[in-house]
Amino acid sequence: MRVKKDSIIKWLYAAPGIAAISVFLIIPLLLIFWLSLHYMPTGLPPKFTGISNFIEVFTMPELYVSIQRTLVYAFTAVLLKALIGLGVALLLNLNFFGRGLVRGLALIPYAIPPFLCALIFWFVYDHRGVLNAILGIFGLGPVYPLRYETAMFSVIMVNVWHGWPFFFLGLLAGLQAIPIELYESASVDGASTFVKFKSITLPLLKPVFAIVCGLSLMWTMGDFVIPWMLTGGGPIDATLTVPIATYKIAFLTRLNIPLAAAYSATILPLYLTIIYYIIKQMEVK
Amino acid sequence: MNKLVVCLFVILLLAFICIPLYWVFKTSISPETEVWDKGLPRNPTLKNFIDILSPAPPRGRMAEVVGTYAVITSSALTPLFNSFRVALTTVILTLIVSPLTAYNLARFEYKGKKFVSILILFAYIFPGFILMVPIMYMVASLKLLDNLIILSFVQLAYTTPFSVYMLRGYFMGIPKELEEAALVDGCTRFKVLRKIVLPLALPGLVTVAVFSFTMSWGDVLFPLVLLRTANNYTLPLYMSFYLWGGEITDPGPFSALIIFSAMIPVVLFMAIQRFVRMGLVAGAVKA
Repeated sequence: MRVKKDSIIKWLYAAPGIAAISVFLIIPLLLIFWLSLHYMPTGLPPKFTGISNFIEVFTMPELYVSIQRTLVYAFTAVLLKALIGLGVALLLNLNFFGRGLVRGLALIPYAIPPFLCALIFWFVYDHRGVLNAILGIFGLGPVYPLRYETAMFSVIMVNVWHGWPFFFLGLLAGLQAIPIELYESASVDGASTFVKFKSITLPLLKPVFAIVCGLSLMWTMGDFVIPWMLTGGGPIDATLTVPIATYKIAFLTRLNIPLAAAYSATILPLYLTIIYYIIKQMEVK
Repeated sequence: MNKLVVCLFVILLLAFICIPLYWVFKTSISPETEVWDKGLPRNPTLKNFIDILSPAPPRGRMAEVVGTYAVITSSALTPLFNSFRVALTTVILTLIVSPLTAYNLARFEYKGKKFVSILILFAYIFPGFILMVPIMYMVASLKLLDNLIILSFVQLAYTTPFSVYMLRGYFMGIPKELEEAALVDGCTRFKVLRKIVLPLALPGLVTVAVFSFTMSWGDVLFPLVLLRTANNYTLPLYMSFYLWGGEITDPGPFSALIIFSAMIPVVLFMAIQRFVRMGLVAGAVKA
């Protein structure tokens, strides 16, 4: 009896968090599948239609375009963020005057919410803005970064500008956890800086690196704010990532909520697979 | 030689971070005729900041452009106040919900614990945009659209998993012996949590509060699908009016508003900088 009461109390402690997650995550997730099987004419109750929404989803060009755009967006952005983050972590792990100040400043882009980063880059990409001012010094230009051909890269750069400090913070912590004795004994053995980097730093950084990359990949694939505030998915469909497409199908172009639910249900396996691998990676640690 | 390379890279890094920010700042303190001028501002003024913080409706090109749509007449104070209210409510709700669950994960052993911790981890990683359609449908069916309190509740979807995860790390760093002594003396678990654990985990609670505030302050998705009337709009929705027609309509007040609303999370982050790094290590990155 006593044991039973004890375990009830333990579950009571877990309850608030589980309740919040159930109401705002698990129930909506299940609702996606329910909605995707229905047809909802305006003002009338929903009607069961079977899989016809899914048939429509697979005939929509948006589906294939958005998946392709999302993969380009996420993989390019994560690669660039990882390179900058690793470089800056190595740089700011060195000893030099003013290091603390630079480390503090490096946090700023990460502290600014993504929607404000996108708005800041409106000033960078404007035809009278920062980018053209800098190019003007070299006699180049004017360029229009938000036109069809370059819009994707321009949006990626905003994501990179905002997101690289996450890699920096994670990797710096990883670097600081490497025991200094390893480097000392390698120096005694006469290893060069490059050899030390390749055989001590990289292997020991790998677990942290994998987790940071995984998390960042998932959040970049789920990034609605930056493309939305910068291009709204356009011009035409140049930056139509999955999150933007979901919003547009539901609330803008097709105004069809069940169809958007079917679209979400269709792309969900892609996201869940990646989440599965990240959780596995984080559980191993 | 080596020093020179380091110096060069640091300058490059600072330029990458600071140039976009400087430009917006420069625009915000320029008078209307000089907003697009390059270099240093020649006649710095605080007029733009005074404009956005005054209760009068916006003047200048923004009002002309937007006026034709009759969408918005309020000053920036309304959305600032709305954003602030929503963020503060979210912080309070998060601080009510997450410590208990975090304490459960940090201290108790029981059947099903692995399930709970994977559920939290899953919710932490899961991208919120997938929920926008069903959450909007849920809230609409309950006839609760356009309600700022409901918006705060919905934002718990972002803040709870993160906070539980982070606080768990802080709680695990507190020596068990302190609690055990109190338990032996006849204290209840809840009292131990309230009187011993929470005060010791204060930096963790502050960090969680700052992160939750920033998440809510920067949330675009849920306000976009849940809010309907201009009087209830939060900052991101209000500020997109400045981009009507795909062009910055009123650079001066717009940039002042950007600087002002970026300052709040940046100052909070800087104040807790040390804990942010610790927290990322203890709670978020190192599982």
